Amino acid sequence: MKFSYNWICELVEGVNTGARELGQLITMKTAECEGVEPFGEHLAHVCAARVLEVTDIPGSHNKKVVVDAGQHGKKTVVCGAPNCREGMITAYAPPGVKLARGEIRRMEVAGVLSDGMLASGAELDINRDAEGVLEFAAEPGDPIPGCAPDSIIEIDNKSITHRPDLWGHHGLAREVAAILGLRLKNPVNTARLPEGAGDVLVSIEDFDLCPRYSALTFDNVTVQPSPLWLQYRLHSIDLHPINNIVDVTNFVMAEITEPMHAFDRDTLKGDTIYARPARAGEFITALNQETYKLEESMVVIADARGPVAIGGVIGGLDTGIVDRTRRIVLEAANFKAASIRKTSTRLKLRTDASMRFEKAQDPTNTVRGLARAVELFEQASPGLRLVGGVADAMRPIPPPPEIALDLQWLARKLGRNVDPKQVLEILERLEFEVREEASKWLVAKVPSWRATRDISIKDDLVEEVGRMIGYDAIPPRPPLIPSTVPPANEERLFHRGVRAAIAAQGFTEVYNYSFVNEEMARRFGMDPAAHVAVTNPIADDQDLLRISLAPRVWKNIQDNSRHFDSFRLFEIGYEIHRKADGLPDEADHLVAAIYERDGDGRAGLFELKRVGECLMPGLEAAPVEARPFEHPARAYQIRWRGETVGRLYEMHPSMGEGRAAMLDVNLQRVRGLGAAPKRYQPLRKFPASAFDLSVVAGVRELAGEVEKKLRALAGESLETIEFVRQYTGPPLAEGTQSLSFRLTVYAPDHTLTAEEVSGIRARIIDGMRASGYDLRV
Amino acid sequence: MSEEQLNELSSRALQRIEAASTEEELETVRVEALGRKGALAQASRQMGALAPEERARIGKLLNAVKQSLESSLERRKAAFAEKALRERLESEWVDLTLPAPGIRPGSLHPVTQVQAELEDLFISLGFTVLGGPEVETERNNFDALNIPPEHPARDMQDTFWLEGGYVLRTHTSPVQVRGMERLGPPLRMIAPGRVFRNEEVDASHEHTFYQIEGMMVDRDVSIAHLLYFMKTLISAIFHRDVTVRLRPGYFPFVEPGFELDIHCLICGGKGCPVCKYNGWVELLPCGLVHPNVLRMSGIDPEEWNGFAFGLGLTRLVMMRYGIDDIRLLMSGDLRFLRQF
Repeated sequence: MKFSYNWICELVEGVNTGARELGQLITMKTAECEGVEPFGEHLAHVCAARVLEVTDIPGSHNKKVVVDAGQHGKKTVVCGAPNCREGMITAYAPPGVKLARGEIRRMEVAGVLSDGMLASGAELDINRDAEGVLEFAAEPGDPIPGCAPDSIIEIDNKSITHRPDLWGHHGLAREVAAILGLRLKNPVNTARLPEGAGDVLVSIEDFDLCPRYSALTFDNVTVQPSPLWLQYRLHSIDLHPINNIVDVTNFVMAEITEPMHAFDRDTLKGDTIYARPARAGEFITALNQETYKLEESMVVIADARGPVAIGGVIGGLDTGIVDRTRRIVLEAANFKAASIRKTSTRLKLRTDASMRFEKAQDPTNTVRGLARAVELFEQASPGLRLVGGVADAMRPIPPPPEIALDLQWLARKLGRNVDPKQVLEILERLEFEVREEASKWLVAKVPSWRATRDISIKDDLVEEVGRMIGYDAIPPRPPLIPSTVPPANEERLFHRGVRAAIAAQGFTEVYNYSFVNEEMARRFGMDPAAHVAVTNPIADDQDLLRISLAPRVWKNIQDNSRHFDSFRLFEIGYEIHRKADGLPDEADHLVAAIYERDGDGRAGLFELKRVGECLMPGLEAAPVEARPFEHPARAYQIRWRGETVGRLYEMHPSMGEGRAAMLDVNLQRVRGLGAAPKRYQPLRKFPASAFDLSVVAGVRELAGEVEKKLRALAGESLETIEFVRQYTGPPLAEGTQSLSFRLTVYAPDHTLTAEEVSGIRARIIDGMRASGYDLRV
Repeated sequence: MSEEQLNELSSRALQRIEAASTEEELETVRVEALGRKGALAQASRQMGALAPEERARIGKLLNAVKQSLESSLERRKAAFAEKALRERLESEWVDLTLPAPGIRPGSLHPVTQVQAELEDLFISLGFTVLGGPEVETERNNFDALNIPPEHPARDMQDTFWLEGGYVLRTHTSPVQVRGMERLGPPLRMIAPGRVFRNEEVDASHEHTFYQIEGMMVDRDVSIAHLLYFMKTLISAIFHRDVTVRLRPGYFPFVEPGFELDIHCLICGGKGCPVCKYNGWVELLPCGLVHPNVLRMSGIDPEEWNGFAFGLGLTRLVMMRYGIDDIRLLMSGDLRFLRQF
């Protein structure tokens, strides 16, 4: 939202604080000022000039013009404007003046030395008119009336979301007056409103949607450009000057935050204006030439025939102001904020009016708007006449709330004492009506422009007082709190442990987006329909929520393989799984990956298995049917303590170059199993004995399975079993392998005799043979 | 054997001991002189033939010769061992300027590191660390935070909407709601986590970033208390004095609400892309918890009140390490991540 510094200064008596400093003060006490920029600086050097002589330049569309430029004297300039004619007063910019399009230089144009320039409104940043040179009434040498250099103060819209009054200059001026301790002027004189019955009737069907509708009719209107000062002011804050009627409505909106609309009275059917919910199937073509389908939740302004405006959002094209308009009905209404916001969202149409109404405007303000417009029309459309009084339909406006403020409570909230006099003064400057009740109690009546939503409870007054005394004036103080041990967050502690362990093994942590797209999902064999979909994705490639970390980690691998031949990385993040009802399940997963450009990939898989064992001592890998993106002979499930907790695999070579091993662990499940139980075993008292066994098995037989069989056969006397080596080749038959293990056996109560040990060994050998294994003994 | 012969034997053997150039040669000398069949053993066997007084004299001499040979042998042997050791050690020279083999530790994401630091800080101040889901209900993300459906504040945060009417949380504030409902008053909690905003990505905007929400609910919590915690927090984060300012800010879930700004640490307040060239960086929105928010989570605002703050963890990480492009954090680029 842009504010004109000059405008604010006109509304506050005796401001002598510069625009930049004012911006700082506003930031610290009211709302965030995003910047202060000079506007129209060149206007200090531009003056009125009378055109004395216009002569054609042969072979050029330009003309040689001689002007009387007051203190600059007679000047010859070259000008191409079609409206340039003898006797007119226009704007002369001498050489050296900097305009938006560049600095004006004394230069030869079409063979004529042009000593300065005659400028259009657009060139001077007074309006958007680039059709011809500016034309106005003044004496040569005068500044352009009402068009002085200004500064534009830009306030962050987000910081005034809660302040309906700050969407106009008078509201911000009130803050400035309060901050600087100066007097605020009232630009509105309601005594100017005519008495008597209105020219039109107003009928409000739903007072909740439209609490008030005030209208005033004017005739003998002349539609023409506004005075320059009015155009300049609107242009400076990014409102486009259109014509005197529309400009006045915009000016009132920008000044006292009352959005208004003018209808051409002669295009309205009947004498009644209706404010009612739209009927199903109604359409309206708006001033922006767009046609909108209306819904029953929207408020329309209608005449006897149908909608003529979308209430609080935009006027209709058919009843708008045109050059031939002679009679107008001026609307100043109030609408329900939530409804306006909804309508504007549904129609994807945000206007200057809707932006203000959705902040909950003050219903007392409608007639003030009309009164201000009456005054402005006198300047902008001379000869215009009022027809009848104000037609004003409304429901009773609730009395402004009174808030009782316990000053001791206020001090406790602020954390410091404030002089009651100062509290009183601050609130009164902000135009609260304050009275003292008992000692240390104030009752503050909220001003109407802040009573709609902004201020309703005593906590809101803490802010008013706090910001005006300045938060820097509150000394920090530690609270008195019981010293208790906060409950631990097991999940986070667990993640920390996992992260530390994995990083210690050489892996670098990455973070990835929670989004994937259809193609990623499909490449990883996942049904896009199984994902939770984003209804308004930021980009087409990020419209699904990940149900696996793998696709994004795979992308990390591909990206990094451009820079490194070998690397390790991991991510801990949440898979988001759709549920039949309720919020999705979010399961924390670890995906660790090893990439090697060269090699056979075995080492990476075993390294990941070892890393897995760091987290889950004794994990088991069990072969599993490979998914399409997995190496068909290198896909394993990870099982731990009887549960399937993850997967270990190599990426299928069709996915990309090099070898990538991936470990995917469902941390939620691992954590659910609790810490691995630990129990002390008494140290063995008698020596143990060891022997090796080499089992001959098929080459695809799993060592883990063979080991399990040996373990079962060894029974209770087994202390440890260790894999020693795997061997293929002569003298073993083709298609077989030898798997050697070292078994250590013991007895808790005596030293095993040689006979006992060979008995155990024989039992195992016999058992294995009975299961069809050959043993190399 | 005569005395002369013995002396002769002794001096010859000693000579050979000194002359031995290997341990083997030395052993040969030992066997020939001192072995079971060696010269001295033979001499001692001949002793029986001597007269008793002669035998005593020769016997003494024999012993002396034996001792002298043995000690020479020991000495020489030790010299050989020492030489061998010296040679071995010399041959074992290593060049430790060569790189050490094996895997280097990886690294944790900078956000992880700073987050852990802040968690520890708050735990030490008696705060509990809470988590919450990335996908939230509209109620927890908005309504229970005093942002009803048609409230214009909903426009302050560009929201990712999901099927089923859920949202990707736009802030960590819904964890306040979860915390209040789970723990009840009094409470002190923080909630670090990932949040989402539907906005275009550039050097200073990301649609996915990290925040830390903090909340304290107790009796008579004041702005002065909030300021104390914020100053403690900030000096702990930056390990130095940072210029801060508190100014009014509007957030529907606090009243009054503040923006806490700090001088940009990248440019020191001179202006750069990170601070959008204004020298100040919005670090912390904060405020006293709005009574409606307490009430909606079943806490009586007449009895309890509190403060809440939301810290831009991502922004903080960028300031801490001087990162000028937010996109790097979610890039998975090891050239970047290995620096931490």
